[in-house]
Amino acid sequence: MTRFLVLFAIIMVALFAAELTPPVQAAIVLPWTEALARISAGIATLFDSHVAALGRILRNTSNGFAISIEAGCNGIEAAIVLIAAIFAFPAPWKHRAIGILAGLAAVQALNVVRVISLFYLGQWSLPVFEWAHLYLWQALIMLDVLVVWLFWIRTIPVRSVAAR
Amino acid sequence: MRDTPPALGRFVLGAFLWLPPCFAAWYFSAPFQAAVAGRLARGLIDLFAPGVVSGLERQGSDLLFVTTLEVHPGPGLTAVLVPEVNPLLYTYGLALFVALMLASRSRWRAILGGAAILLAFQAWGIAFDLLAQIAPNLGSQATAQAGALDWRREAIALGYQVGALVFPSLMPVVLWGLFNRSFVQASLRPGGSAASAMQDCSTGPGASR
Repeated sequence: MTRFLVLFAIIMVALFAAELTPPVQAAIVLPWTEALARISAGIATLFDSHVAALGRILRNTSNGFAISIEAGCNGIEAAIVLIAAIFAFPAPWKHRAIGILAGLAAVQALNVVRVISLFYLGQWSLPVFEWAHLYLWQALIMLDVLVVWLFWIRTIPVRSVAAR
Repeated sequence: MRDTPPALGRFVLGAFLWLPPCFAAWYFSAPFQAAVAGRLARGLIDLFAPGVVSGLERQGSDLLFVTTLEVHPGPGLTAVLVPEVNPLLYTYGLALFVALMLASRSRWRAILGGAAILLAFQAWGIAFDLLAQIAPNLGSQATAQAGALDWRREAIALGYQVGALVFPSLMPVVLWGLFNRSFVQASLRPGGSAASAMQDCSTGPGASR
């Protein structure tokens, strides 16, 4: 457990530091945040034709309400935590790669739900939007990371059951 | 409380079901929690900028830090900075922590112990929120008065990022993991490489692979 925690902290700090650098911001963070806005708008337009994405802004074209996806809301921090937890845990590399790909998909899928739900909550009630945005969804996303990680460690292949 | 950890699916369902009542309990007890975390934060601020905070007040759910920093908004005008911090931003993790602990049927003693440990991280968030307000967000005069120069500014910026983006939601999960090592171990396949590693790590201090 000590080894896991130390590795987890080191990898996480390294990834967070990398995330804050201008090259990573320009190459990954900003493009992903804009893609997240486009994906959210694309899904929302399936049931609401008044939704449009402009950069990292999601906007209702009929009433003018808009939200901007900022740091902490693009799912990158949650992704970093998940990647660090998977890398820090002893597992075959192939299994780690599968865990990261599937885990990131699960985390980002829930994050799209977060963005879309906040977009509509904000149009309904700003106090409820604030509450869900600042507290509830933050906890739910981290709970999602934990659940994904717990399910992942459960699938780590058996090395030598017969030998034990 | 039962000692046997629940199955993973049951734990996940339990965590989701416990979350709403835990959030409600956190929200209504937040002012008391904020008062304690605020006092701890004041002690932390004194380490970084001694003598800058002269008082701590509450306005609704917000904490008001009365500082000794003077600003001059106009000719002949002098004011004292009283930055506000919303402590809820840093304390909501308590609801997540308690929900996870209840879902894994942890003992109340462990829940209370974890809540006490979380206070330190909440104080960190509140302290660096205030320091971020009085250091990089203000003019050079107030910043120089606070002694927040060069490396200290960078440290405050980093401390704020960690305290705002990482600690509030991550530390409850990390603490839950520390209090529930047996649960994590029970989630592993028996005989798997990871199961062996966790066994090694938890059988003695400093054990590693």
